[in-house]
Amino acid sequence: MESAIGECLVAFVFGSVVGLLVQRSRFCNTAALRDAILFKTFRNTKALLVAMMILTIGFTTFLTFGEGNPMHFDVGLNQVIGLFLFGIGMVLAGACTVSTWVKTGEGNVGALWALLFTFIGMFLFSLLWSANYWPPAAGSMTGEPNLEALQLGYSNAATLQEKFGIPAVVFGMVQTLVLYAIYRAIRRKEMAQQTHHDELAAQHAAE
Amino acid sequence: MDFFKKTLDPVIALSAIAVLDIFLFLVVGAWTVGGGETMMTGLFAEAVMGEEQLARIPFWSLVFKPDASYWKIYISLGMLFGAFVGAVLSNEFYLRFPRRLSEWVLITIGGLLMGVGIRLAFVCNVSTFFGLTPEMNLGGYLSISGIIAGAWVGSMIYKKILEG
Repeated sequence: MESAIGECLVAFVFGSVVGLLVQRSRFCNTAALRDAILFKTFRNTKALLVAMMILTIGFTTFLTFGEGNPMHFDVGLNQVIGLFLFGIGMVLAGACTVSTWVKTGEGNVGALWALLFTFIGMFLFSLLWSANYWPPAAGSMTGEPNLEALQLGYSNAATLQEKFGIPAVVFGMVQTLVLYAIYRAIRRKEMAQQTHHDELAAQHAAE
Repeated sequence: MDFFKKTLDPVIALSAIAVLDIFLFLVVGAWTVGGGETMMTGLFAEAVMGEEQLARIPFWSLVFKPDASYWKIYISLGMLFGAFVGAVLSNEFYLRFPRRLSEWVLITIGGLLMGVGIRLAFVCNVSTFFGLTPEMNLGGYLSISGIIAGAWVGSMIYKKILEG
């Protein structure tokens, strides 16, 4: 799409539908991880896994035919450290990037406060980056590993297809199977929890 | 209308979002939030500091040059709008404030960590789960390992606070 206005319009319509669906379903990415870790409940985790399975098949199918607009930048240690900090932050704030916007839309002032400080955090990081220029800016990325800068280069399903001559969607199917195995393991755990709960309830009733 | 009376199954909601995300991927790029938020930060900073002052900070000329026509901004604004409409139509819109000072402190620290983390990684949780990993980008796997470890540490801190 070439028109900036067209892109913005598509993005706004997409965001509006997402905001509505997330608000009505109470989906939360933070809860998908936090609740699984702390409370062993998986309501949001299962939804996240299903979405990832659909997306993996969809994206890799189009990448097989050279279609789509994949994210293109070098990756490295900064992803691990950055998302580690983000993971702590989202649990403490009780909201991730999606739920801060959605909860703000519901009138949650705490979420608006989190959003404000996310912006402040980004600005503070811009000062830090301007002092040491790490991680490398897009202009200086080469797509190849750059160990001095702790960068591993660029790779995705399309580059795997190019390298091995195997269609990207095949790699996508393997990843989908792995995600499905995790989903099934969660369902089994839930069923075991339910059986245990039913047994306890039956015992109490018998007493 | 039932849609605004009952809670929607998140599996159905996320499946619909995934299909739309594939469409977005074909048109402009996969769903992301952090990039738009960074651009908004730049635009706010430009409004407060002025264009010249902001240009003295290299990040805002080399990495993110403030531009109001950056499409990713409008995903976030759309989410705000969609959630507002959903909340109003389902009578769930009302002002909620954190009650305790400790909640304000946690939200402040959490927000700062999210902002720094997004910019350090170049990605947010949305790009991780709904963009990079489904594209099988190496960065997706690096990000997932980081966010799970971070969520675990955050959960342990949260548990200590709950118990304390």
